[in-house]
Amino acid sequence: MPDWRQEIPSREELELLQLERLQSTLNRAYRQVKFYRRQFDEQQIRPNDIQELTQVARLPFTTRTDLSHNYPYGLFAVPLREVVRIQSSPGTTANPVVVGYTVSDLRFWRELTARLYRSADVGKDDIVQIILAAGLNNWARDLKDGAEHLGASVIPFANLNFAKQLMVMRDYKTSILVTTPSYARHLIDVMETMGLVAADFSLKRAILVAEPLTPAVRREIAAGLQVSISTAYGITEVLGPGLAFSCPHDDGLHFSEDHFLPEIVDPESGAPCARGLPGELVITTLSTTAFPLVRFRTGDVTSLQPGACPCGCPLIRLGDIVGRCDRIFSVGGIKIHPDQVGSAIQEILSGHTPRYRLRLGQDAGLTYLDIEIQMDEILFSDEVKCLEAISRRLRRYLRENLGIDSRVGLVEKISPGSS
Amino acid sequence: MLQIRNLYAYYGKIEALSGVSCHVNQGEIVALIGANGAGKTTLLNALCGLVQARGKVTFHGESLLSVPPEGIVARGISQVPEGRQIFAPLTVAENLALGAYLRQRRGQRHEIAADLEKVYALFPRLYERRQQAAGTLSGGEQQMLAIGRALMARPRLLLLDEPSLGLAPVIVDSIIETIVNLRRQGVTILMVEQNARTALSIADRGYVLETGRILLSGPAAELLHDRQVTRAYLGKDYKEFTEGR
Ligand SMILES: Nc1ncnc2c1ncn2[C@@H]1O[C@H](COP(=O)(O)OP(=O)(O)OP(=O)(O)O)[C@@H](O)[C@H]1O
Ligand SMILES: [Mg+2]
Repeated sequence: MPDWRQEIPSREELELLQLERLQSTLNRAYRQVKFYRRQFDEQQIRPNDIQELTQVARLPFTTRTDLSHNYPYGLFAVPLREVVRIQSSPGTTANPVVVGYTVSDLRFWRELTARLYRSADVGKDDIVQIILAAGLNNWARDLKDGAEHLGASVIPFANLNFAKQLMVMRDYKTSILVTTPSYARHLIDVMETMGLVAADFSLKRAILVAEPLTPAVRREIAAGLQVSISTAYGITEVLGPGLAFSCPHDDGLHFSEDHFLPEIVDPESGAPCARGLPGELVITTLSTTAFPLVRFRTGDVTSLQPGACPCGCPLIRLGDIVGRCDRIFSVGGIKIHPDQVGSAIQEILSGHTPRYRLRLGQDAGLTYLDIEIQMDEILFSDEVKCLEAISRRLRRYLRENLGIDSRVGLVEKISPGSS
Repeated sequence: MLQIRNLYAYYGKIEALSGVSCHVNQGEIVALIGANGAGKTTLLNALCGLVQARGKVTFHGESLLSVPPEGIVARGISQVPEGRQIFAPLTVAENLALGAYLRQRRGQRHEIAADLEKVYALFPRLYERRQQAAGTLSGGEQQMLAIGRALMARPRLLLLDEPSLGLAPVIVDSIIETIVNLRRQGVTILMVEQNARTALSIADRGYVLETGRILLSGPAAELLHDRQVTRAYLGKDYKEFTEGR
């Protein structure tokens, strides 16, 4: 466990630290990013009008659409030559999300990710195996960097099938498994078919990331792998894991307030919610230099829990992520917007958009996107063979562009429900 | 120890500090770096009640801003001003005695004598020249005298304004060594420097000030390796830092 008193001062000192960092972030954003300057000027607000943490509510929001409009480098706050990593992910809009990191940004990210591990009681003697889908590459790399920074032995993600991963896990005596809830369930499934049991492994703990974890799934994984469970929260497009992490007390996730300022707002009005009430999580970065974000709307619905945690960590706790306030949804931890699937279909069908319906499917623990496309005259005019090709091409398109698995069915009439 | 929130400072209508928040913890060396005219000296002067300021400044939990300059010294804060500002016609010994002025009035004669010994031990050159007029000292010796004089007030927090200004590299090294020693003896230090590399190499944390605002802060080791800071404040190509986008 981290020595929290070493790491984070008292609540009062933490708040001064947050204020200092907020003010310097706003000064930099205003001075160096045209977008923020324009936003602030429109609202006739200056960085130094923010004299208390709560006054952050006076600042304009930043949305995923803003990121898209400023693609690729528009929101960078340092000259490109200071940027040492340019990370992109498919995002949920027409443009990919591009995030830049300076040397010091990378260093602080590694430290933050290492803290996530320390809070899960991972140390130098542990062997950490990371198994994540290709669509979660950025997470996989950050989680590898953080574990290496801590001094653990890391088995980074390799392109092996699940059976081989399990052999590695057994033979290398992996003690910490880092994966998604879906993958963990699938691994249990594969174990069974291979005739393996939890006792064949040296696992102590699973750190489950990128997807919300329901109590039932949590119990299932804890029992199936015979491990303790830790979780972490992050935003794939913008930040990484280490934004919030679980503790031994396991009631909410500690939010890394020393580097990010959280707010909960009403998704409709944007007004701050009372402490403890659910709303949309909004984040302002306090320490990043290359890519500062002011009041970024995550779309995740959650709450901030009042009261100190018995574990001793003074960082405020985030409640469960209970849903989203936009149409973005997660397929095995990879976030997508329905419109991205719509434009994929349109592209494959050379501009034609039939009626379609999206659902999540499960196969042996793995989550996939189930797409039903309704036959219509234009589609019908094609040969059936051609229809099969459509389905194949769509599946491949989604795997290559968004990193998700899907199944495509062509039906007479799509089953009732949302499209 | 020292907490500053939303500090503004003015010279008449000119706003020299525009909402600065920062802090210094007990036992730390904190470096305040920034280009000419950024407001570094103004910040130290505002703490000492020497310029008109508003905001919230507390030292050990007590508010500082309404306290007159002598009161600041009495609370344990001493400043070594920019450009030394020693009393040229007075001797070295007289200058040092002036530093203990408040304590003398309180009759701490023995402690003062002991501290004088310590200052002479720290700067043997001052002892050799104790009867010499301060104005005839070299630049480095004057800086030593200015620090010695501040120490005579037995500060808990020492404010140093450009201690390396105009000094030869060897002298800078010895001044820096002195600062590190002082911290080891329990003195907390807030240090203003244009020479960012020197300051950050001994500091725990640093703040980068720019036109009266804090633009960056962090562990000194990190700022030292931050290419923005080195470019901007080691005087290379300053413009690159501010190029808009
Ligand atoms: N007495 C004064 N009257 C009017 N303006 C002043 C006065 N003293 C300082 N200023 C202005 O306030 C601003 C900050 O000055 P300050 O001396 O604090 O800068 P600094 O960071 O210490 O610079 P340097 O590195 O050159 O010492 C400057 O623009 C300066 O011109
Ligand atoms: Mg100055």
